[in-house]
Amino acid sequence: MGPSFSEIASFSGRSENVLLKCVCTRATLLHFMPGPNQKRTNSALWIGLLITVLGPLSNFLYYSKIPAAVLPWLNLAIPAIGLLLVLIGVVRASRQPQLYRGKILGSIFTVLAALLFAGSVWLFIHVRDVPRSAGAPQIGQRVPDFTLPDSTNQPASLAQLFSAAPGMAQPKALLLVFYRGYW
Amino acid sequence: MAISVDPPDVSEHLRQKQGYTFTFLSDPNTEVIRRYDLLHKAGGPKEHDISRPAEFLVDRSGTVRWENFTEDIRIRPRAEQMLAAARAI
Repeated sequence: MGPSFSEIASFSGRSENVLLKCVCTRATLLHFMPGPNQKRTNSALWIGLLITVLGPLSNFLYYSKIPAAVLPWLNLAIPAIGLLLVLIGVVRASRQPQLYRGKILGSIFTVLAALLFAGSVWLFIHVRDVPRSAGAPQIGQRVPDFTLPDSTNQPASLAQLFSAAPGMAQPKALLLVFYRGYW
Repeated sequence: MAISVDPPDVSEHLRQKQGYTFTFLSDPNTEVIRRYDLLHKAGGPKEHDISRPAEFLVDRSGTVRWENFTEDIRIRPRAEQMLAAARAI
């Protein structure tokens, strides 16, 4: 059992105890301060970086059944949370260097996590930079007919595409898919 | 039917590689893309003009019965969604 609070109080109350107290405090500190090998792993740094890396990977979720409307925000939130954790790890390492490792690693991870987060923000802005197309045909309106070369370089028109292929019934509808190209 | 700025040989390559059986149309001069107000200026590689993604379901009279304009190029309508719209005609 260690000394009780009142014992310490009465001990430190003595006039000659100043030096003693100093020695005592130093001894206590030395005793309880963990050595370089006893430092804790700064798990916030590692988990933070891992989550940040999952940010760009979360773009593959567009192939999943998850409702697409939430995914852009998820793609942004994941690296944000990761970066936040890395920063918590950095603050830990700088405020309690005797307890937590990762002062150097923390700065490297911060740069990596910040770059990944910045990339996610750039992607978020870039993929949503789509023209409004207010003048596009609306539901109930007629689409303009046109003729363009097909992939075998034969001219094809909407009217032609609506005509029946040999041995097939005339199509009821046609789906026009405009896509970005450069595949 | 699919439309893009890709030249016919590029579309044909994509069609064969993916095993698509529908028609691919080429609009390298963005003539039809402009007429449909779908031009995405400098949206492609090397600042090339391309089409924004858009889907129109058109009936025999040429009237739009269903359409979709994404606000995020990663989000496209699912096949089930388009098939359901087609069945409703």
